[in-house]
Amino acid sequence: MTRNQRSGALVLVAVIALFASGCGSSGRLSAKALSDQSTALESLAAEGALLARHAGGGKTTHIFTRVHSEYLYEAASQAASSLRTAKTDPAFEPKLRHVASLARKVSADLKRVGHASKAEQPRLARELEAAAKELA
Amino acid sequence: MSMKNVLAVALGILSAIGGFVDIGDLVFNTQAGATFGYQLLWVVVIGVAGIVVYSEMCGRVAAVAKRPVFDLIRERTGFSAGLATLAASQVVNLMTCAAEVGGVAICLQLLSGLPYRALIPLAVVGLAVASWVLPFEWIERVFGYLGLSLLVFAVAAIKLHPDWERVAHGFVPGSHTGGSVPVYLYFVVGLLGAAMTPYEVYFYSSGAVEDGWGLKELGLNKVTAMIGYGLGGFLSFALMIVAGTLFLPLGIDPQFLGTPALGAEEALGQVGLLLALVGILFAVGGAAIETCFSGAYNTAQFFGWRWGKKERPAAASRFTLAWVVIFALAFLVVMTGYDPVKLTEYSVIFSVVALPLTYLPILLVANDRTYMGSKVNGRLANVLGVLYFILILAIAVAAIPLMLITHGGQG
Repeated sequence: MTRNQRSGALVLVAVIALFASGCGSSGRLSAKALSDQSTALESLAAEGALLARHAGGGKTTHIFTRVHSEYLYEAASQAASSLRTAKTDPAFEPKLRHVASLARKVSADLKRVGHASKAEQPRLARELEAAAKELA
Repeated sequence: MSMKNVLAVALGILSAIGGFVDIGDLVFNTQAGATFGYQLLWVVVIGVAGIVVYSEMCGRVAAVAKRPVFDLIRERTGFSAGLATLAASQVVNLMTCAAEVGGVAICLQLLSGLPYRALIPLAVVGLAVASWVLPFEWIERVFGYLGLSLLVFAVAAIKLHPDWERVAHGFVPGSHTGGSVPVYLYFVVGLLGAAMTPYEVYFYSSGAVEDGWGLKELGLNKVTAMIGYGLGGFLSFALMIVAGTLFLPLGIDPQFLGTPALGAEEALGQVGLLLALVGILFAVGGAAIETCFSGAYNTAQFFGWRWGKKERPAAASRFTLAWVVIFALAFLVVMTGYDPVKLTEYSVIFSVVALPLTYLPILLVANDRTYMGSKVNGRLANVLGVLYFILILAIAVAAIPLMLITHGGQG
């Protein structure tokens, strides 16, 4: 192996190691991964609340509300389904169950935002805001 | 200068402003604002000044030496390094073009409500037809002028009543709050990469050669680069201020192309939303055409093919085929369903890695009297050019490790 090939191989190993460290290897949700999921859901809930508030106040179009809430719903429902089957250390189990339950609620509310009447939007906005606060 | 020339310069500046923002600027400025508030505004200033310095240089080289950037890369770096640069720039161009095409389809979906996948072919065909039918100037102007709708974000930034003292502090680099150091550095790299993306100089210099720029256009070059790009950077400030004022306090991490539009909607209601969506549509649409043509320009210039949008397609058949193939490949990439916003993040970070090989030949030729005669770089252009090149080298080395360590800015 030439010096260049050795250097190339070292770079490759370093890149693979960095990827591996990012992916995690235990198959269980760490405290940090759980916290990241919670933060991501908080963001989706807060964005959904803003959208619902705009929809209730006539600030947006029906099409934008429907399409953008679908994007938010898809992301939230993916998070909800991965949390449903996730495992974690016993110490974090209560938090996992709590986040998973909020994920299901956020996901259901976001699905509703796309089709709700103008009158129903403020209630959805309040529910999503409350969920975002709980997830924060 | 006659009124006609003043008007031409003004129109050129307007199209440069409208054409400055692309999907990379939208994504990185909004995410940076939502994560760090106004604390990264200073990076936009540095990035915009960098693109002004190098665009002016490559426009001057195009006007004096009549040589576009990739022609110089091939000549200055030799065949092997030139081929490596071509391969790297084509991968980045294709990723960027695909992200922009995906962005066009998402905007059309947000405006029409039609399914995203059905709108992808419509977006590609629409862009390809516009590229085929419209003359060069019209492509720049139609997309540039309609991209000016993004100025709605400047109005939104004012109407959202940010804390102007904190905004002013954001223009001064210093310690930061609200995120880890690697995430902060990741956004520094991303914002610089988004502002100084290589396709902009490929397109700018090839366009200057196509327009037959000569010594008379050196003034136009300076004005377009400085005022056009400079004011274009103003849109980046607006995006970051809107995100810092609205999204950061609410805990929103923008991961969708429609999210920035919520900022315009908050401040200006439905009119704001529609202006934002139209602005984004034409800004990313124009950038899709620019990246596609940049890829075709680079390939044709590297291999010495006849090239030019002004040539009849049959006369520059390989060049024409190249841009058609790039659009077709971008279409296939987007049809895989990969998220255009994620693709944008990767394309910006990978483009940073390719920056040194793009900008070094420009700096060298702009200093070479055999090409430039008396129009070589002055002292200021050289100082800035060298400083920026050092900066480019540093961020090129740091870009991929930072992306991996921070999981794409997620911490």
